[in-house]
Amino acid sequence: MGGDAFEVTVNLVKMAVIFLMMVQMVPILVWAERRGSAFIQNRFGPNRVGPLGLTQLLADAVKFIMKEEFVPGKATALLFYAAPVVALIPAALSLAAIPYSVPVHVEAFGEYGPYVFNIQGYEAGLGILFILSVSSLGAYSILMAGYGSANKYSLMGALRASAQMVSYELALSLSVIGVVLIYGTLNLSEIIKLQEGVKFGLPNWGILYQPLGFVLFFSCAFAECNRLPFDLSEAEGELVAGFHTEYGGFKMLLFFMGEYGHMMVASCLATIFYFGGYNIPYCTPTEVLQILETKFASSTVASLLTSLVFLISFLIKVGFFLWLFIWVRWTLPRFRYDQLMNLGWKKMLPWSLFNLILTAAAMLILKG
Amino acid sequence: MFSSYDIVFYLLALFALFSAFGVVTSASPIYSAFFLVLAMMDIACLFVMLGAFFIAGVQLIVYAGAVVVLFVMVLMLFNLHQETEAFSRGTISGMAKLGVTGLLCGILATTLFHFASTAKTIAAEIGPEESTEKLAKLLFSDYLFGFEAISILILVVAVGAVALSQLKGGTHAKS
Amino acid sequence: MLPVLILGALVILFGGGLIFLVSFLGPSKPSAEKSMPYECGLVGVEKRDTKVSVKYYLVAILFILFDIEVIFMYPWAIIYKSNLAEAGTFLFIEMMFFMAILIFGLFYIWKAGALDWE
Repeated sequence: MGGDAFEVTVNLVKMAVIFLMMVQMVPILVWAERRGSAFIQNRFGPNRVGPLGLTQLLADAVKFIMKEEFVPGKATALLFYAAPVVALIPAALSLAAIPYSVPVHVEAFGEYGPYVFNIQGYEAGLGILFILSVSSLGAYSILMAGYGSANKYSLMGALRASAQMVSYELALSLSVIGVVLIYGTLNLSEIIKLQEGVKFGLPNWGILYQPLGFVLFFSCAFAECNRLPFDLSEAEGELVAGFHTEYGGFKMLLFFMGEYGHMMVASCLATIFYFGGYNIPYCTPTEVLQILETKFASSTVASLLTSLVFLISFLIKVGFFLWLFIWVRWTLPRFRYDQLMNLGWKKMLPWSLFNLILTAAAMLILKG
Repeated sequence: MFSSYDIVFYLLALFALFSAFGVVTSASPIYSAFFLVLAMMDIACLFVMLGAFFIAGVQLIVYAGAVVVLFVMVLMLFNLHQETEAFSRGTISGMAKLGVTGLLCGILATTLFHFASTAKTIAAEIGPEESTEKLAKLLFSDYLFGFEAISILILVVAVGAVALSQLKGGTHAKS
Repeated sequence: MLPVLILGALVILFGGGLIFLVSFLGPSKPSAEKSMPYECGLVGVEKRDTKVSVKYYLVAILFILFDIEVIFMYPWAIIYKSNLAEAGTFLFIEMMFFMAILIFGLFYIWKAGALDWE
């Protein structure tokens, strides 16, 4: 973690900032979803509360806080209360392992030596493995919620949702392995660095090498986040509301925070693997740093601004994928459960295996 | 005084003992399964402390993320009632429990005293990527046969699981 | 290691603390109707020992098996690119044996009908 107190404080502050960022992004995403869905469905979304309806979720949050807190009669209270909290953990831990931008180099001043700030919660050497292992724990919050509610429909919904998550995790992991094959490393910062530059006139991004992998990854990400068209477990009107039938008020808000957190992680990973992470097409971080260094005297400020520029580029790409999540949700109809499982096992799994074999064979033939 | 490594290790070890105790003494089987998840996650953290980062990831993905999910799903399907007591009573079973516990403690103590002096010199200070690469190289050169044999083992388990599910009287029985 | 544990503790404190605080803010009027499990407004029917399908067990076990396969592919994928020149064909063929047996397993499971109805 760092020997001296400075590194420890820096790490703690980064943890807190990233977690709070995740919590704060949820209102923005919900607003985007409600306005976006409204425009897709040719109606107005919330536009009364605050400018453009932006503070709608603040009003909703206040309402949630004032609601009555209840536990269903025969529920096991510990599991019932723990499930929403456990839903937050995979998303928060994954978001802290993602590199958002170029590291900032602060030069020495006074007796404090030069320091490199990573715009990343903590540097996970095996970043991909860490994120996938933590995401696989997401099935537990669903199972705890379903069982703790003492409602047999919740239980059935929870079992179906966890069976779905588990089936699509396979195809997800296999498409991620395709990316790891191409770049030869599990470290996310390395993968981003290897996507600089151009190839055949196009930016040297992952999607050039793994188009099928991208389609598979993104489709499986929908299933992992329980989003339409795979949201049978939360479908209104089918299994009542699935595993979170008995949840109301603030605990429900925590579940949605977890779901949006998972969406953010999936979008960030899609950007990093297939769209160059924080790279801007046709220029590299060192070039931008040099341009900025000629304009500003201090190299610390130049480094900071470079980092900011690349952070904005990363956020734009992630925002595009989040919008894609919302767009698809309000456009496509829902899958039936047997269609869903068929798709997962009989189509996604064989295609991702085929993608892997093809990638390995192509690498062997082209470079061996 | 203790270094930060020691403090974290003792905290993790305490938590592992607490989870394991919870697995054994819970009255409800589902609580036992959830304590087992906690124990698995704790063991993954201990692997990270030892520098075996890849194994920690494998532990989380396979054990905590797949095997115990299977346990929990199946336990929930069974709709078990809560046991009235966590432990069975009786003289013979009590003596058997004491005997087995004594045996295990004896083995543990012997191992600890035998290997205590050489324990800390084993973990080398290499980073996660390097250790995983070394593991990969070993897996595909020295342990190649074991690696290929595992695929046959997985095939056998898959065939066995499908055959079990098609036993007479079940929902998937072949009529 | 420590940052991960600290972040986990922070999340649990945040979630748990907020739920605890919110339980003080709202009204608290428990009643018999509110405590019943929700079944679209109808009175719940408790059926004993409904026969549950074995599909979920099969899905979970097959997931474990294929997850183990994926675990073995991670180290292979890491060293594949850097060793393409000297051991590329060897690595490829090794992994193809492994995958072939597992693809055969998937094919058998498919034909045996374990992946149907879901």
